[in-house]
Amino acid sequence: MSASSDGIAAAAAPLLQVEGISCRFGGLLALDRVSLELVEGEIFGLIGPNGAGKTTLFNVISGLTTASSGRCLWRGVPTAGLGACRLNRLGIARTFQNLRLFESLSVRENVLVGLHHAARAPLLGALLGHGAFRRHQGRLEARAMELLALLELEALAEQRAGDLPYGDRRRLEIARALATAPRLLLLDEPAAGMNPAEKDDLRQLIGRIRDHYSLTVLIIEHHVPLMMRLCDRLAVLNFGRRIALGSPAEVRRDPLVIEAYLGGSGGGQGSAAGEGR
Amino acid sequence: MDAALLEQMLLGALLALSVYLPLRCGQLSLATPGFYAVGGYVAALLSTRVAAFAGSGATSPLWALVAEMVLGGILAGLIALAIGGPVLQLRGIYLAIATIALVEILRVLNLNLPFTGGAMGIFAIPQPFEQADGYVLFTLVLLALACWLCQRLEVLRLGRAMAAIRDDELAAASVGIDTPRTKLIAFVASAVLAGVTGALAAHFLNAWNARAGSFDASITTLAFVVFGGSRYWLGPVLGGLVLTALPELLRPVGDLRLILFGSVILLGPLFFPQGLVTAERLRGLGALLGRAPQAP
Ligand SMILES: Nc1ncnc2c1ncn2[C@@H]1O[C@H](COP(=O)(O)OP(=O)(O)O)[C@@H](O)[C@H]1O
Ligand SMILES: [Mg+2]
Repeated sequence: MSASSDGIAAAAAPLLQVEGISCRFGGLLALDRVSLELVEGEIFGLIGPNGAGKTTLFNVISGLTTASSGRCLWRGVPTAGLGACRLNRLGIARTFQNLRLFESLSVRENVLVGLHHAARAPLLGALLGHGAFRRHQGRLEARAMELLALLELEALAEQRAGDLPYGDRRRLEIARALATAPRLLLLDEPAAGMNPAEKDDLRQLIGRIRDHYSLTVLIIEHHVPLMMRLCDRLAVLNFGRRIALGSPAEVRRDPLVIEAYLGGSGGGQGSAAGEGR
Repeated sequence: MDAALLEQMLLGALLALSVYLPLRCGQLSLATPGFYAVGGYVAALLSTRVAAFAGSGATSPLWALVAEMVLGGILAGLIALAIGGPVLQLRGIYLAIATIALVEILRVLNLNLPFTGGAMGIFAIPQPFEQADGYVLFTLVLLALACWLCQRLEVLRLGRAMAAIRDDELAAASVGIDTPRTKLIAFVASAVLAGVTGALAAHFLNAWNARAGSFDASITTLAFVVFGGSRYWLGPVLGGLVLTALPELLRPVGDLRLILFGSVILLGPLFFPQGLVTAERLRGLGALLGRAPQAP
């Protein structure tokens, strides 16, 4: 590998490139040669009917599923075979559509687990609870409370995560993901189960988070009006295929999208499936 | 209660903690008796074959006991380190079966190796203490140390990572926890504790043979943790103490004791599905103790 030319390529490369990813489960082609590129700092939306392959694409990007073919590049470097832990350390964090909190731990502890990488401390000092270790712990706790405050969860810090109502759990997943200090945040239906007011709060929150941490966000969400307002760019998946890509205005006008998903002005069945959640 | 029974109870509590450590990380390992046997053989061999370890006086030197415990712990830990990588890729009941197989392999090895004394095992292991009281005091210190380490785990990064893996291994990996490494650390720590306990037990029991690490022992030590609860270290400690004492305390009722003992193991999980020590009960206890001094 020639280091100098790679270095130049990496500097110019987008944050994440998805190149012709296919993913087959038995007879089902969940992803069919999907490609997209994420530019640093953008909020990129992924929409499409249920079963279109959106979550599968997240699983491939975050290292939980191995693609059948195609590849992902992180800042120009292929990520094949790295696994979820290494990819998180590179800067990719995610939330889960079906919520995977550490349910027996408190809200605060969930975020502290997310701060795992930041919590490295010399073992002996940690065992004996030395002053330096306690100060370090204090900084971690402060950081955890800061994140909880950002997600408006600080009042619930000592509650068991498994006891939280739905909307709070979704926000806790975001706090835990942010704790890992990501560069790219993958949000899988973060507004599912929220009422319209909560959804609006969440939209503003995601914008704030992006600005505050200068993050890149890749978000899956069914609520199309929310996505139109929130996202810089959108891609539409249908039956594992990327059928559209562009600005919200472009995607809204795309005839393929109108046919497959948005259901036009008449509001076909695709619209009911898409916006009813 | 006589000192010999108390000593057995303390050893039971240590073994229960050894089962608890992987379980705290979601790993059901039944390998504890295997490592216990290995530690015991290290102590039995060193103190009966090496003159310096046996000492010359009425009792063997204390430093020799400590050295044997360290070496027994190291050997058990090295075995765990060597096999942990592949074995810990198994999950749930498959891991349990693999660790039972490990206990069996070690048992057959211990029966057949040229230096382990065959089925009779090793006798006349020298005593570092003149009376059982000495063992009790020494074991109490060891148990206190083990409990303290487990308590520190609650606030340490490693302990939180273990709890996260127990709750959801996949999510733990997604927040950057090296899950194979963390599981291996828990497994090795469990083996070291079992090895150390075995070295101590070999002296106390005066004789050591392959029956120390049997399938029966795997089930008994697991019962300690199921009965006491696997959430906090206090649970296994209580389970180990109580379930070791029970068969002895029930001796007056004769053969009925085995049935009673079995019923306790059966009914315990029925009435206390999370074990005796749960988060709620601990909190209740904490509140009670916290209030007590302020009461007039
Ligand atoms: N691990 C898996 N094994 C088999 N089929 C899967 C697996 N994961 C997803 N699928 C299938 O792949 C398709 C796409 O699923 P998914 O990515 O969850 O869709 P979306 O998130 O867009 O609703 C679905 O038909 C789903 O049943
Ligand atoms: Mg999905």
